[in-house]
Amino acid sequence: MTIQQLIFIALAILVIGSALFVVTTSNLFRGALMLIVAFFGIAGFYVLLDNGLFAVAQVMIYIGAISILIIFSVMLTRGMQAMIPRNAQAGSVAIAAGLLFLILLLAFGPFRLVVDLSGVPVLATLFRTESPRVLGGLPWSFANREVPETYIADFGRALVDLNQFLLPFLLVAFLVDAVLAGAIYIARQRKPAEVIAEREAIAKEEAEEIAALQPQAASPALPQSAVASTAEH
Amino acid sequence: MNLQNTINGIPLEWYLIVAAALFSIGLYGVLARKNAVAMLMGVELMLNSVNLNLLAFWRYLAPESAAGLAFAAFVFVIAAAETAVGLALIIAVYRSLKSVDPETLTQLKL
Amino acid sequence: MDAITNLLKIISDFVAELIRSVLGFSPLLAELVVMGLAAVVLITFAALSFMGLTYVERKVVARIQDRLGPNQAGPFGLLQPLADGIKMFTKEDTTPATADRWVYNLAPLVIAVFALATYAVIPFAPGVVGTNLNVGVFYVLAIGSGSIVAILMAGWGSNNKYALLGAFRTVAQLIGYEVPMLLNVLTVVLVTGSMSLIDIINHQTLAEGNPGIPHILMLPLPALVFLISGIAETARSPFDLLEAESEIVAGFHTEYSGMKFALFFLGEYVNALAVAFIFSTLFLGGYAGPILPPYVWILLKAALVFFVFMWLRGTLPRVRIDQMHALNWKFLVPMSTVNLVLVMLVLKLFPTSEAAAQTFGGILVTPWVQALILLAVNLAVLFVSLALAARAARRFRQAEEEMIMRRRSANLATARA
Repeated sequence: MTIQQLIFIALAILVIGSALFVVTTSNLFRGALMLIVAFFGIAGFYVLLDNGLFAVAQVMIYIGAISILIIFSVMLTRGMQAMIPRNAQAGSVAIAAGLLFLILLLAFGPFRLVVDLSGVPVLATLFRTESPRVLGGLPWSFANREVPETYIADFGRALVDLNQFLLPFLLVAFLVDAVLAGAIYIARQRKPAEVIAEREAIAKEEAEEIAALQPQAASPALPQSAVASTAEH
Repeated sequence: MNLQNTINGIPLEWYLIVAAALFSIGLYGVLARKNAVAMLMGVELMLNSVNLNLLAFWRYLAPESAAGLAFAAFVFVIAAAETAVGLALIIAVYRSLKSVDPETLTQLKL
Repeated sequence: MDAITNLLKIISDFVAELIRSVLGFSPLLAELVVMGLAAVVLITFAALSFMGLTYVERKVVARIQDRLGPNQAGPFGLLQPLADGIKMFTKEDTTPATADRWVYNLAPLVIAVFALATYAVIPFAPGVVGTNLNVGVFYVLAIGSGSIVAILMAGWGSNNKYALLGAFRTVAQLIGYEVPMLLNVLTVVLVTGSMSLIDIINHQTLAEGNPGIPHILMLPLPALVFLISGIAETARSPFDLLEAESEIVAGFHTEYSGMKFALFFLGEYVNALAVAFIFSTLFLGGYAGPILPPYVWILLKAALVFFVFMWLRGTLPRVRIDQMHALNWKFLVPMSTVNLVLVMLVLKLFPTSEAAAQTFGGILVTPWVQALILLAVNLAVLFVSLALAARAARRFRQAEEEMIMRRRSANLATARA
């Protein structure tokens, strides 16, 4: 058992445990905090995968931005705290999710289902029996390769390379732009009644102001017209 | 255990199992919760599990290619965008209906 | 001479060797133990500097305001931090009855942990750094966002409306000022071509083929904006709106007392000192410097930056909340964005390396010329945006005055009628 294996197991317990807490708790604020713990655990996995850039990006984006947004909306929708956390189909959904996990476990996990299903091509690739295979049937070829020193620079160049990811990169940039405008617009929308009430209040205020200005507007008008009339003469 | 196919003693399957578990938990969160914010948390868990898979495959199969990283980065950006718009929608709905239960959203207008 | 220069490195190597040979640990385990020891040393350093800084800050601010400051405990009041510490320890530790206990009690811990985590990447001397991340700058910025979570935890956990209001204010401020900070750190990263703090220092160190110009001389605008947003990020005066006691009691830590309050206080100072260290690393050349050993240089530079913080605290009044956000979103962010784009253009148009000049075109120049061009561009952006801001402010003031005049004459008219 290497140290990395121990770290992996600890991280896995942390992530799975906090994720389970997130989906079952009725205290949403605590749920959001545990979500942060789960995100941290995943950042830890990225460190184990020799990818410091994405670990830091995970902390920055998921914890610094997404979690904060979620916590904010939990706070803003405080009236919903007392609600029952689960809906009517929770039981069947739990079974379905469990089944999904089981299938994935059988497809990838160490407890391989050793059955000869060669007659059924789809199932044969799903429940693999010999060398490791991805679902599509491509064999995994490990070479124990090291991550190149310059992986960040390579990644950056790939993003702006016309032959690689420039187009998706630009699309994502447009998406972010649109989202920025859209989120502000949606969050700003109010109920028509509120808008009408506000407009009425503004109109009332303006009317009052005009009424207040009336005598003052009348008095300077006199000398001005007098000046104008003298200039005309 | 075949140590040849591991990095620091961790086989790729371990990551896949954790990601599968996380995905299933997230799926349960999305489908079984009554609160739209909680559903969004489930979606975040699912996106994270996908990212974990992408980066695990990148590390084990193709560390010299930027494809895995690029996909993971796009998932990051789209997750952030989806959260921003989703939460803005939830708050707009909450303001007019005083509820974040998706089952109360039975009309097409607010 | 060499022994003095590399003192810290020699000590750490000696300790590592000691653990390996005397205790007979395996190399990996020995490395882990040394890392743990280094973490303990860093945390102790941060905590001790917190104690020292509270004293120095009170003394300096007192002098600026023509007072004496603490002078009763010990000679020159030197034992004041100790007295404060004892007071904090013996104070009653209260928890509001309606608080969310777990969240309430964890918040100070989280803030202290995140504040201390920054020190993992600060280089104190060549080879003396917690860990040389190749994304060091990015790490510092990311860790900074952790304290936002802690503040939200404190605000929510206290179940107190002033605490929640303070937390909301803080989060708006911290998230807002992260933007100009990031944009300006990015200019430094562009000029250096690396996100590692060591590489950034090396870029400012005199060496063969490298003139070693401190970044503050070629990027004065990013340095200025980084300083301002650094002060806002650590919520120090004049941006200490989150604990504006006349408005919202003490902000998010209203309900905290005793050691939990002390942890918040520690987090604040440790964060401020970290910003001072990062500023001196990014813009003042870090541990690079002549004659004196490197660890003395970085401490001197950080002390200088921290003195500027204290100076601003002693002289400037608190900014109004709308002014603070306007300063950020309407002034610092657009200015930094324009500056970032211009710096990018300058680096592409006037490259210093032949390879870059061949691939992208542009005029090959020496580093000094490039630095001069960068300086000119920076100053131009700064003065143009200051002039624009001044014009906008003048117009705004005129409109306001006109309005007041109109109101006054209207009031007079109604009174006459």
